Amino acid sequence: MSGFVVAAIAMLLALIPCGIVLVRGSAMAAVVAFEAISAVVVIVLMLLSEGFGRPGEFELPVHLAVLVFGSGLVFARFLGRGQ
Amino acid sequence: MTIRTVIADVLLGLAVLVVLGSSAGILLMRDVYQKLHYVTPAAVVAPPIAGLAIGVQSGWSVNSLQTWLTIALMLIAAPFLSHATIRAARIRQAGDWKSPADHDDAEGRR
Repeated sequence: MSGFVVAAIAMLLALIPCGIVLVRGSAMAAVVAFEAISAVVVIVLMLLSEGFGRPGEFELPVHLAVLVFGSGLVFARFLGRGQ
Repeated sequence: MTIRTVIADVLLGLAVLVVLGSSAGILLMRDVYQKLHYVTPAAVVAPPIAGLAIGVQSGWSVNSLQTWLTIALMLIAAPFLSHATIRAARIRQAGDWKSPADHDDAEGRR
């Protein structure tokens, strides 16, 4: 198991605190946790692609980074409309 | 174990520390505004460190090019997302994202 896979697994541990905020926090706190989780998952996908030596999978984090931007803006837009 | 592997492992360890610290901050901070500060290290600081580790390990290749494309997208998106989120939080809290002083100034100019 390469260092990249180990680092990816270690980074997945960071999803636990963010998941707690996502489930138990307010709507806006959940959006913040969602943005952090998205950023971490993008990094994890990069590391796993390198760790397992699969060049084709390097496209996944590229697509996810674009989708995260759009989804974050959508959540912020709709939650900013009111209670 | 080559020197490249050692440097990559050190960079990866640094990226993991940044991400774990960031997630702890998101959990421990009290309100949305404070929590949002801790998204930035995970979205802006950790990706370039991980990209450097990939670059050190595999050199210049299509893989590292796509990695840096991803990182560029994240670096561009992060400030916009933070601004949109904090604007939404402010609107939910105060009804408008401008401060009362801004409204007074606008009224005074009329």
